[in-house]
Parts: sequence; C-alpha cells; structure tokens
Amino acid sequence: MGTTRMDRRLFLKAAGATAAGAVTASQAGCLRYFKKGRTASDDRREVPTTCELCPNKCSAIAVVEGGLVKKLNPNPENPKSRDMLCARGNAAIKQVYDPDRLKQPMIRVGARGEGKWKPVSWDEAFDFAAKKLAEAKSKYGPESTLWSSTEGFQEVFFKNLGLAFGSPNLVRHPTLCLASVNLAYSATFGTVPSFDLLNSKFVIMSGANRFESIITPDTMDLIGGVMERKAKLVYLDPRFTVTAAKADEWYPIKPGTDLAFILAMIHVIIKENRHSKDFVAAYTTGFDQLVEHVKPYTPEWAEQETEIPAKDIIRIAREFSDAAPRALYYAGRRSSWYQNDFQMRRAQAILNAIVGNWDQPGGMVPNAKLPKGEFLFMPWDEPKAPRVDEIEKHFPLAAKGDGVYLKLRENVLSGKPYPIKAWMVYKQDPLNAMPDQAKTMKMIEQMDFIGVIDVQMSDMAWYADVVFPESAYLERTDPVEVMPGIWPAVVYRQQVVKPIHDTKPNLDIVQGLAKRLGLSDYFDYTIEQWVEAEFKELPIPMAAEHMKKHGVWAASGQPSYGKTLTPDHRFVTKTGKIELFSERLQEAGHDPLPVYAAPVQPPGDRFRLILGRVGYFTHANQSNNVWLNEFMKENDLWINPKPAERLGIKTGSTLTVTSSVGSVKLKARVTEEIRPDCVFMLHGFGKKSKMQSLVYQVGASDAVILETAWDKVSGNAAFHETFVKVANA
Amino acid sequence: MAIKKKRYALVIDSRKCINCKACAVACKAENEVPIGNFRNWINEDRQGEYPKLRIDFEPEQCHHCEHPSCVRVCPTGASWQRKDGIVLVNDDECIGCRYCMIACPYDARYFHEASGTVHKCTLCSHRIDKGTIPACVETCPSKVRVFGDLEDPASRVHELLATRRYRVKEPQTGNGPQLYYLL
Repeated sequence: MGTTRMDRRLFLKAAGATAAGAVTASQAGCLRYFKKGRTASDDRREVPTTCELCPNKCSAIAVVEGGLVKKLNPNPENPKSRDMLCARGNAAIKQVYDPDRLKQPMIRVGARGEGKWKPVSWDEAFDFAAKKLAEAKSKYGPESTLWSSTEGFQEVFFKNLGLAFGSPNLVRHPTLCLASVNLAYSATFGTVPSFDLLNSKFVIMSGANRFESIITPDTMDLIGGVMERKAKLVYLDPRFTVTAAKADEWYPIKPGTDLAFILAMIHVIIKENRHSKDFVAAYTTGFDQLVEHVKPYTPEWAEQETEIPAKDIIRIAREFSDAAPRALYYAGRRSSWYQNDFQMRRAQAILNAIVGNWDQPGGMVPNAKLPKGEFLFMPWDEPKAPRVDEIEKHFPLAAKGDGVYLKLRENVLSGKPYPIKAWMVYKQDPLNAMPDQAKTMKMIEQMDFIGVIDVQMSDMAWYADVVFPESAYLERTDPVEVMPGIWPAVVYRQQVVKPIHDTKPNLDIVQGLAKRLGLSDYFDYTIEQWVEAEFKELPIPMAAEHMKKHGVWAASGQPSYGKTLTPDHRFVTKTGKIELFSERLQEAGHDPLPVYAAPVQPPGDRFRLILGRVGYFTHANQSNNVWLNEFMKENDLWINPKPAERLGIKTGSTLTVTSSVGSVKLKARVTEEIRPDCVFMLHGFGKKSKMQSLVYQVGASDAVILETAWDKVSGNAAFHETFVKVANA
Repeated sequence: MAIKKKRYALVIDSRKCINCKACAVACKAENEVPIGNFRNWINEDRQGEYPKLRIDFEPEQCHHCEHPSCVRVCPTGASWQRKDGIVLVNDDECIGCRYCMIACPYDARYFHEASGTVHKCTLCSHRIDKGTIPACVETCPSKVRVFGDLEDPASRVHELLATRRYRVKEPQTGNGPQLYYLL
C-alpha cells in the first residue's frame, strides 16, 4: 500500500504541480516514515498528576511517549476540577520544553540585571549562597534574611529552611492576593467557607470575573448554574468582562463603591423584614447594632454613590432575599482593590449571614476536610526576633505566618526596625506581583545577596545573584495536598518524566543549602519518605497504590450540608456565634460594623487604573508560554471612546500612561467595554528578563505604574487606587 | 451481524463558551499543530454602545460536512471522507496544491509548512477509534461541545437536536455542515 501511494505522489509531482512545495513535501515525507518506524506504541504511558500552572490543583493525566510529555488530559476523578483542563493546564507541556527555561544553576557575573551569567555546578551555587547567608547571619543576625515564596506543594520545605535558619521573616502571597477576603469571612464566621454555586439560584458578584479568572469548581458550577439551571447572576464591574457578558444583569458600578451597594441591600432587607429571623436569632450576634448601623444607608443614598438606580438596588435585594437560602453574594478571591476592601468583604459576609444561607445547599458551606498524615522531622528553635513588618503592631488580625508584603517592603527600605540584607525567593516574582516596581528595585539594590529558586528566569531571578533552577512540576514528585471544600479531595503530584536539564526539585535545593548551613539534621528525609507518611493517614484502603494509580481521591460525590447548624455548635469566633458586630475588630481599633467612606475619585484629567485577567493568563509567568502567548502577544490599554476622542486617541496608537510612581508605553484599545473614568490593562507583560523572550519589553508591566496602597485591616495590597494620565506618545 | 452505520457530529452550545481557549491548546498538543496555526478557534462578536453591550463567542473548527467541497476539489483524492462522516487528508497523497483550502467555506484548513501538505481537524479520529472523545470536547471547562453519533437515537447529540433549536453555518453552500449550534 505504502509503495503505491508513494508512486502516485511522485507521479503527480513529476506532472508539475507546485514544484517547490512538493520538494519539501517529499523530504518531510521521508522523515515522517523514519519517525514512524522509531516510535513504538508500547512506549506510551499514562501518569496521573496534579497541575501547577495556577493554584487550582486540577487533576491531569499525562500521556508520555518516547520519554516526552505529549499530552495532558483532564482527570475526571477530581470533584473540583470536574473533568476539565483549561488552556493554562494544557500548555504546561511547553513549560517543560521551553527554550527559555533555566537549565542549570547560574551565578551573576555582571551588574545586577545586566544579564551576564556564569553557569556553575550545583556545589558552587550552594556554596556561594550558603556563604552569603552565613555572612548576613554573622553580621546582622538571622533575622536579616528574608524568605519569600508563593503557594505550592514544595513551599513547605522552603519555609522550613527559613525558620530553621532562624529568620521570622517569611512572607507569602496572600497580602498580594486574597488576605482581605479570608480575614473578613474569618472575622464573621470563624472560617472561610466555599460557595455552592452549583445549587445557588441567585448570585451577585462584585468584580469577581469568574469566567476569565478560572477557579475550580466555581467557574464550571457557575456555567452549570447560570446557563443550565437558570440561576440568576448579577455582576458589578467597571469593565464589561466575559462574566458581565454572561450575567443576567451588569452594572458598571462607580469604582470603590461596592460597599455602598451592599449596605443598601442590607438596609432594604432589614427594613422590609426580609432577613431570616430564625437563623439570625439562633446563630448570630450583633443584629440589633446592625439594624441601627444600616439605617442611613438607603438605596437612594447608594444610588448617588454607586450610580446604580435605587429601584434596581431595591429589586435586587428583594430577589436575593426571595431566593435565599439559595442566594449568594460571592466573595471573589483575587487581589483586593481598595483601602476599604476588608470592610467591603465584611459587608458581603454580613449580608450572606442575615439571609441565612450558611451551611445550606446553594449557599455558603464550611469546608469539609480530609485527614492526611504528617512526616515528623526534628524541630528547631523558634526564631527569636520579631517580624520586620511589625505585623503585631499594625495588623494584629493578619496572618502572621504570611506577613504583610507592602508594609514589609516599607520597613526593609527604611532599615527599621532592623536591616534586611539577604533575600531568598521561591517561585515568586515580587517585581511583577507587587505594585510600584521602582520601590521593589530599591529593595533589591540594598540587598547584599539575592537567591532565587524558579523554573523560569522571572524578572526577580534576572536581578538575583544566584539562580537555582527548579524542575518543572511534570518532572517532580511533590507532597500530598488536601483540598478542602464542598467536595473535598486529596491530590498527588508524581513525577511524569525525568528532568531534561540540570534542575532539581525544591526539596533537593533546600537540602543542598541546609547541608552547607549546618542544618542538615532538620531536612534528613527524602520526598518518598515524606509522601509515604502522608499516605499512611489517608482514609483510603491501599492509599499509596491508589494515589499513584489515580492521582486523586475524593470522599464522596455528595456534599454534606448543615453540620454546623446545631444548637450546641460554637463558631470559631469570640462569642461562638456568627459575628455581625465584631468586638474583636473594635478592640483592634477598627470599625466593628462596616462603615462607608466615599472613595476619592480621579481628577478630570486622570483615570482610575483597573486590573484583571483573561482565561489563559493568570500569573506573570504564563505570558511567556508559547502556546498561551499565541492568543495575546502584547497587552494594551482599554479606554472608552468618549475620553479617547477628547484626547485624540485611536486604537493602535501608542500611549504614555503615567502615574505618580512610573510611566509605561502601551498601545490603545478604544472600546465601549469600560467606564469612561477607568482604563484597564492586563497583567504579565513588559518583562525585564531577556529569558522571557516572548514578552521581554513587549507591552508593559502594571507593577511599574501601580502605586503603593493597602487595605487598613488586612494589609492586603489595594490594586485599584492608582490614577493615571493617558496621552498619545 | 450487520455493522451499524455511524455519523459523527458536534453539537455546540455557544452560550456556554467563556473563550478560555482550552480547546485550542488541547488540540495543539494532541495534534502537534504548529505555532501560528489552529485546527479550532473561537469567533468573537462584540456589539453595542456603553453600557448596553454584548459579546458572543462561537467555537468553530472543520464542520465535517455531509457533502464536503474540499473533497470534491481535491485533485489527488488526498481529501477524503470516512464512512462515519469524518473528513480527513491523507498526508501521503496531498501535494499541497491548497485547492481544498480555497474550497472550504469555513477556512478550516491550513498549510503545514514543514510537511508541505494541508492539515485540518480530524475530529481526533485516532481517539474516536479507540473509543474516546476529541481532545477539545474532553478538556472544555463548560462542556460547550457535545460529540456523538447522529445515527444513535440514544446519544446526547441526538437528544439535543431533537429537543432544542439549532442552526448550521453557511447552509447555502450545500456542504451539509455537521457542526450544530444550539440557539
């Protein structure tokens, strides 16, 4: 058969059809036959694993052929990722085979950021870093070292190294992300619940752009709910996002006024006696104070603040309470926006509480958890110094283990209360994650030493003194993770392929450093021992075998509701009740009930800069993935046609966008899909690192122009408090 | 025993599409589609004036037509149709003349520079033949595409087309497209 086909093609070629193309074709054809002969089908393996491209922890099945990852398929056994893998998850293959990847340890030889590197052995890299860390310790004490990391299965090893070294200064991502949300719900309910979007009948979202910032299972459940079960979605956002396009009602709310909208809803519900009286009486405290508190917050007042008509606020409040308990004001979870973010989230939590949606189908559900074993290791002494960000003094309610990033940067720059001289970074890019890049650059400049552990040469790594290349997630075995939720699950990430470059998993890197810092005894285990210990306590027969074969285990398909709705249940709050009025907040010097203060609006010649995501880029590192970059090669500035006309701006023209801290150049996108007083840009472009070649100096980084501002209670960075001037370049 | 006739098709619920591009990347990985080319894509239609706006997304790929014009124009017989309706290109017979690319009313084919031949969506026939579903169908977070056999009265595609209103694109071409868009 094959011969006949060849002959026929050659015949046609000889007959003169598209000569040049056909020559290429025949050569490529031969190669193809050669390849076919080499690739045996019994070489194919399928390995279940857990995605690491964003924090969702979706389950995937990797198809391996000839030692290479060829395809990642969704694993339907995970009740949270629900038989899907998004674009980012599918593109993880290109993280492994990215030509820009870090391939061996490197020590900087030129000036910081100059891009001159010397490839070194792992021994050299470890010796160098350990020497620098020891120097900082002997000169300034162990507290002079800063250890920053972001969410990940191997983050635990990095944090433990920082603590064992004696530094209290571990700083994590939450105050650049969802700390205000977590704190607000904890302050009210004593825990952060999940939202049962699958069964909800009425959902309100403030800027939680759930169809573009994909969160599992929320995004899929919302699609199921809104588009198949006829649940209603009301969405507030200054920008017409995909979520706005899918919502039943979209309100381009005046930025920073969501709290006014929520307070007016509470006002209407209480005034019209629509709250759940039984629930409020049985499970909450402070309702009487709430009644007094919301009296001035009328819908007519809120209309002035939010630009949402009072009649709509009243109607939405009625529809919401009618649908309760299958009604939700969804929390959202990406970065906080304004300096009142905690109080805005608190108001949501209070609104949810008074309609009694707690622990109900279609409402807020406290997370179910699954037990997991723990590997026991030798304990170290607690770090002696207080934290450099003075979290106890300024943010007594914030999570001490996570720190407050922006306050920390202020203190590091001032050198008070004590100097920070060395900075170790794992899997994080503070240069793009934190607002005001120039300030972060100053922080970098004052360090005697910077070491970065990452898969790619992030901007932070580009300014480091030594770079430790971590193996990609498909090349590692990681600790077991429990995913709490309405549908709790346990997931496992096992090695799919061997590392293709001279890279190591984070644990090996931590151990290499620990050995040279005299801390080996604290890290005297293998990943296999660690994982085995975790497997042992899982409530699954043959747990290790199951997890290796399936990659995921879920307790049952059916969530359980109402476990906390018993007379003797104590919520983990001061009063043991759901706290509408919070004494704890009052004691800490904050408003015990959410008080509204009108946000400052941009002066006439300025715009409020707002941020957001698309479904295929979440974090700054994803825009350099060749399969994702194809969908958007450059970010641009969204601007409404009215101001654009006034300023003579046309789509495609280059703009200078200037704030008080920096200036960037971006192409204009004149679009109806944004309020006239706002402009929008996407995160993840304008990189300083030449080893992010697709986005190196392409578009711009939001971090350059964002100003430093934070929420008063949680310390969460407030990302929508920057006003910019826009002009044709 | 008579072998049952099959007719594969996709029923697409565009309203559920969130333009996340999972389908496009899954296809890229599954079929080794080169950078710069796509076998499936999402059309966007943005309309209106602030604040009265709408965006519609529409996933599209080869329509695996009943009477495919690409097959009719192919001078070598490289473009062909399986009995189950799947339209394929036999790479060994393709001479890269690209007539089929011009004939396709949906612009669903591309020229593969390295092989010098025309490539297109195969409906992941290699997966279907093993009893699984196309990569784009499987990976989709909102399960926009439903894959199935129109000849099977118990199939979900059959049920959807029997109970919902739908349209096809460019029916006037006489190609008989088999991507059914629910209204």
